[in-house]
Amino acid sequence: MRDVASQRILKVDLTSNRTSVEDVPSTELAEFLGGRGVAAKLLYELVSPGIDPLGPENALIFSPGTLSGTSAPSSGRTSVTCKGPATGLYLKVSGGGHLGPELKYAGYDYLVIQGAASRPVYLWIDDDEVSIRDASHLWGKTIRETDRLVKAEVGDQDIETAVIGQAGEGQVLFANIMLSVYNSASRGGVGAVMGSKRLKAIAVRGRGGLAVAHPETYYQLTVQLRKALAEDPSSQGLYRFGTVGGVLREQEEGALTSCNFSRMGLDGVERIDGQYLVDAGYLTGRESCFGCSTACHRFVRSFSPTYGDVEAVGPELETAMALGANCTIADTEVLIKANELCNDYGMDTISTGHVISWAMECYERGVLNQERCDGLDLRFGNGAAQLELIRRIALREGLLGDLLAYGTKHAAEEVGGDSWKWAMQVKGLEQAVTDTRVAKGYALSFAINPRGPDHLMTELIAELGYSERARGVVEKITGSKEYADPSMIEKRAELVRWHEDCYAATDALGFCAFTSTSAYAITPANMAELMGHAVGFELSEEQLMLAGRRIVTLERCFNVREGARRKDDTLPWRAMQEPVPSGPKKGMLTDQTSLDTMLDEYYSLHGWNRETAIPKRETLVALGLADLCSDMPLD
Amino acid sequence: MSGLVVDPSKCTACRACELACSFTHEGAFAPWLSRIRVVRIVDRGVNVPIVCVHCAWPSCVDACPTGAAHIDRELAEVRIDEDECTGCGECVNACPFGAIELNAEKGIAFVCDLCGEDPACVTNCIHGALTFGRAETVAQRKRRATAESYALGSQGA
Repeated sequence: MRDVASQRILKVDLTSNRTSVEDVPSTELAEFLGGRGVAAKLLYELVSPGIDPLGPENALIFSPGTLSGTSAPSSGRTSVTCKGPATGLYLKVSGGGHLGPELKYAGYDYLVIQGAASRPVYLWIDDDEVSIRDASHLWGKTIRETDRLVKAEVGDQDIETAVIGQAGEGQVLFANIMLSVYNSASRGGVGAVMGSKRLKAIAVRGRGGLAVAHPETYYQLTVQLRKALAEDPSSQGLYRFGTVGGVLREQEEGALTSCNFSRMGLDGVERIDGQYLVDAGYLTGRESCFGCSTACHRFVRSFSPTYGDVEAVGPELETAMALGANCTIADTEVLIKANELCNDYGMDTISTGHVISWAMECYERGVLNQERCDGLDLRFGNGAAQLELIRRIALREGLLGDLLAYGTKHAAEEVGGDSWKWAMQVKGLEQAVTDTRVAKGYALSFAINPRGPDHLMTELIAELGYSERARGVVEKITGSKEYADPSMIEKRAELVRWHEDCYAATDALGFCAFTSTSAYAITPANMAELMGHAVGFELSEEQLMLAGRRIVTLERCFNVREGARRKDDTLPWRAMQEPVPSGPKKGMLTDQTSLDTMLDEYYSLHGWNRETAIPKRETLVALGLADLCSDMPLD
Repeated sequence: MSGLVVDPSKCTACRACELACSFTHEGAFAPWLSRIRVVRIVDRGVNVPIVCVHCAWPSCVDACPTGAAHIDRELAEVRIDEDECTGCGECVNACPFGAIELNAEKGIAFVCDLCGEDPACVTNCIHGALTFGRAETVAQRKRRATAESYALGSQGA
């Protein structure tokens, strides 16, 4: 049995075909908490500024959390960190499934992939035996085909895999990596980085175990927290209807965008809501990630005479909003099929939805004609065209498929005219579907997100005040529950910074963000206590959150070193220029002035230079980052 | 006499049972040493917990050359006498369910002991895939679980 405090790094260099194992100094565990935190430090040290994200100099780091593989509820998530090809900046994504804990049982807390193979390979980690195997016969296969073939080849159906599909092979800039077949580690093109290294798959078998410092206390705490989570109404909602159960709520609150963010609401949208999947009999099962009793993942079956039979997972809320509502397609079977295609080819459903809805708007406005669309009739609402386009993007087929594979930023530059105005992207990443015009805290958190505009570095549900617990969190941070109001710009900086710190700690320990920044049922105090009993040194809530801030600041430093400044912390043109056109939220907008006010407060709060957004020297010294970040430009 | 009842249609494969079991018996988190294992047929969305059903005429007990695998007459449950076990693996070969395993490090067999009538796996099973109860209801719930396994894939709302 391995102590969770004794962390090990497995390094694999695909250029030289060498593997090695290193220990992580115990001081780093206290400073960076492990997982995402230590991965941030590794990336900062291993990747020099200015390198090509799709070149062999990039590193791809898999890091389950420090508590992953133990009984801590919902703690089995894995961060994947690299320099992102869509943005040229810091990229951390997170995936569920069972891969991370399996890696821990095999004896490794971090898997660092460097270099690039000269031909397709896959990595087989069988406890202590690590081998790099030929994958020529797997190149060109889908995620599910590859998983099946690898399992057959190593002769073990119970291994865990991380696989890229054709999109990753072809370096589509929003290709993802699928963990345990059906759990997406998505956004920013992590799959393209894996593809650039010609690494088709990682297969892991771990037969070891993990021991914690104070076993009985630790275990009893985890049993209590599992029960507390099970009693939480938001967790229960996620179990019943999944994340996709939030579609109708968005519509009812007037926050559901359609037609590529140009309109509000969509008739018939209930058909892509989670409750409909249950009521109409599409849902056949609820799936958990390792150690999580919430089971928000869906398993669905659809027998469609038009689109073929599907047996697969999903869809998630963001998928339904991006591929469904924003492409103006409220058709259950199209959505299930579209989601299956993205998962099989290995593409992020948010960005895939956005590039298609952007192309649809270009088509409707006459900026792209049918010839430029390779004959596709790309009107909003054309489900069959969407499904065909997903295939073409993944395989980079035709003029349009190849163009869209680079994402909306690049595509808009190519297409020209005003098309950049309706490209819902910042830094080169397509925005998540939360409408930042109606939620100011989300607006700030999207703007400052080092990887681009989305909710997966700072999930700010508390500002919406959905639950008593959420309002309690707002009170704890700001002093009053009255600030649980998304239309206010006051106190957004405080709320965002707290959620950043909390989210970083959440990732570092391996927890799902739904536990700590959605249900708020696992608090920073809980996390600190669990971490302390796991690793055997005292850790206060304040120390945990400070370590979270250390991680967030280091990630910012990575971007500063790459040249990112305050001007990059912004929102899509449409989100700042076009007020909500209709419905209960009509007229709302987060304009540049509001954003600037919030940014000023946010940088000041962090101790970063307000003009440049570069962390001040004294801030780095206070966080113990001055030596590590000595190569960064001064503020 | 009480029993553990498994209803695969309610299992989401969170594997909290494996963690609770290995912790309770081995003091560490190690699914390979768990007496209960969740088998996932990933691409069909089917999850089936496999654990000793404490057969009335257990093949493992018949196969055991030393008498280490035996039936506790009072509890009507399969037990391994660790002092008598030689780790020969005959019980593993004999069990039709894969519910008895060898601990490679210790060189002895291990099997579910129902945690002294308070199974840790059941305590941590949130969605009711694992239940534990008095004998008069066990057969009834097993019939239900067997019937449910035919309806796998229709969990309903």
